[in-house]
Amino acid sequence: MKALLAVFREEMGRIFFLRPVFAVLIVAAGIYALLYPQPYLNEALRRAPIVAVDKDGTTTSRELLRRVAASPDVSIAFLAPDLAAAEAAIWRREAHGILLIPADFERYLLHGRPSPIALYADASYFLIYQRINSGVSTAARDLGTQVEASRLVARGLDPGLALAAADPMPLTAVPLFNPQGGYATYVLPAAFVLILQQTLLIGVGLLGTLPGRQKRAGPVATVLGRLLAYLVFETLVLPFYLVALPYLYGLPRLGGAWPMLALALPFTLAVGGMGMMTATLLRRPLAVQLLLGSIGLPFFFLAGFAWPSEAIPELLRPLTFLVPSTAAIDGFVRALQLGAPLTELKRPLLTLWALALLYGGAAMILEALRPKVASGLAT
Amino acid sequence: MRQRADLRFGFLLVFGRELAWLWRRPLLFALVSTVPLVLMAVLMVIFSAGLATRLPIAVLDLDGSNLSRQIIRAVDATPDTAVVQRVAELAEGRRMVLEGRVHGLLMLPRRLEQDVLAGRRAEVVFFYNIQTMTTGNMTLRGVNAAVPAMEGNLRVSLRSAHGEPLPAAQAALQPLPVQVSPLFNPTMNYAHFLLAALLPTVLQILAVTATAYAVGLDVETPHRMRVLRMLGGGLWQALAGKVLPYTLLFITVLGVADAVLFGVLGMPLRGSLGLLLLSGLLFLLACQGIGLVLALYLPMASAISAATLITGPAFGFMGIGFPRIGMNEFAQAWGAILPGTWYLMARVDQTIRGTPLEYSWRPVFVLLGFVLTLASLVVLRLNVLGARRAAVA
Repeated sequence: MKALLAVFREEMGRIFFLRPVFAVLIVAAGIYALLYPQPYLNEALRRAPIVAVDKDGTTTSRELLRRVAASPDVSIAFLAPDLAAAEAAIWRREAHGILLIPADFERYLLHGRPSPIALYADASYFLIYQRINSGVSTAARDLGTQVEASRLVARGLDPGLALAAADPMPLTAVPLFNPQGGYATYVLPAAFVLILQQTLLIGVGLLGTLPGRQKRAGPVATVLGRLLAYLVFETLVLPFYLVALPYLYGLPRLGGAWPMLALALPFTLAVGGMGMMTATLLRRPLAVQLLLGSIGLPFFFLAGFAWPSEAIPELLRPLTFLVPSTAAIDGFVRALQLGAPLTELKRPLLTLWALALLYGGAAMILEALRPKVASGLAT
Repeated sequence: MRQRADLRFGFLLVFGRELAWLWRRPLLFALVSTVPLVLMAVLMVIFSAGLATRLPIAVLDLDGSNLSRQIIRAVDATPDTAVVQRVAELAEGRRMVLEGRVHGLLMLPRRLEQDVLAGRRAEVVFFYNIQTMTTGNMTLRGVNAAVPAMEGNLRVSLRSAHGEPLPAAQAALQPLPVQVSPLFNPTMNYAHFLLAALLPTVLQILAVTATAYAVGLDVETPHRMRVLRMLGGGLWQALAGKVLPYTLLFITVLGVADAVLFGVLGMPLRGSLGLLLLSGLLFLLACQGIGLVLALYLPMASAISAATLITGPAFGFMGIGFPRIGMNEFAQAWGAILPGTWYLMARVDQTIRGTPLEYSWRPVFVLLGFVLTLASLVVLRLNVLGARRAAVA
């Protein structure tokens, strides 16, 4: 126990006094906290620009354009005289969609025939496509429902009934947990977990490869003492990332403290163990920095968060759980954003504990196998 | 004439030294070959399906009628969604969403069929988890395709039941149908959208950090710098000999990745291959330029940290997931100084978009601007270092 505490004290000192470690665990973590969220802070894409080509030029076509322009999703950048001019705007990225109202648009409607309009939306950027599609479709559907209802009323139907006949079984879609559909609310909670993992992983990797460790203890006490140091350190950083930052950036949160802490414990142990293991394998601080620096992005997409795990090939899926962030992103996001209680977090909890044992155990074995240069010199 | 031959000789000497060096340094070699290839292969496997299909949802059927069963079948039949679970009450469905076992819950209210047939509006409600936005939107798309189609059938039968002739009833269904054509990526394939952008992003990280490292190895020791300059027989030759081996390796890696994208994953190449290659080359040179500048202006460890800090979070700024037109000014500006932002624009132009040449040059020129600016910064710094050394001597 005494040896363990000695290792713990030494490791705490190294975290704060070794410059490269401090730079990763504290300075980089701070910079990421500021920098990473920037692209998403506007939360939603609003008023995506489209070009309208109005071949009809009637009251009704203008009414449709007015409704489209009033939608929060799209804005009409300009009216183009023809499709060629509209296309040029797409090529120049000045607009991302073309709304084409054909000639005879109003006449068809007045004659009670369907009067189609065409929307060409830029699908090279999916979010822009969705916005434009939903903005224009909603405006057209509203106008269409109104047109149909007024036709029915003209035929002598009661207005209330007319509306029901025009839309007898409406679908109401209720988005849960991120009702505004905000992009920051979507991506940041998961990204923060990944940043925590990557900074700790690189930090521990550096601690294990930079020279200057003095205290020697048995492999078990050594690994446990260091893990204890990482746990104590993470009691500062993890709440900053998962509680303070979401609060500062105004992200909605439902979760309580207990599920977060229950996940944080095995998460830190697993990442710490993995870091120690990597340190033994890579041996040099530069190798740690260089090799782990580029690996975060693939880890993020392995997690089944940005891209559903159901779509990841079956063969790869079990392997994704070897990276702590896969279970951790699932667990923390459901705990903190969805407010899932502990009973519904069994899977990520068990996975993280299993990884903590696996990587902690591996670190102990590697530590036991390590040639005892320092003690050899001492004797 | 003789001098010209010397120049080429110097370049080759440095080039050869760098290759030999690479061979003896497994870390450096891994960084520019196996690591990017493995990371890209993993990303390719993740997105190999291209489309996510049959995402699990649950159903709460309070009606138990013919109509409700028809709706459930229709929702299950869309490519996007699969009904995997029937639940008996809302709380159970909520729990399944919280457990992450389903992405949404479709609720069919009591007396749905009765109300609809009697001409009273009855709402079908779909709760979906949009915390995972891509997945949530995809399940919504499935339900959105199925339920309104069912409603359409109902409206036709309701009206023909009221004595309206069938064609008229069908025409009145959608007085104002919107014919939506997705431009450029008609199947909304994620491999052509996200994966195609992720691969250069990984390469951007590695090209900047590995260059900072490789150059740092020389800069760290003044002796090596002198050797380099002497071997090269001049500043430019030394620099080109130092940097080009990596450019060749990186462009090979990018070529392998793109060969898989175009050959196996069906990514279209609608624009000009020449322009795609040119912008790829300029992109890599710009990345290397950033690495060079960092290595020349900072000590090696800091240069590598800075390289990671700049390129690590770059993906979000390059405007693929969340578009740049929706970002705040800082993020737009930060994105504009990343070579990847412009390369991805050129890439989208030449691959899925097939942008005509006359509209394609802007991102390419910006990349060229990057290369020239960074090269001047490098020369400036090397001259300062040279002058400093001369002063010491």
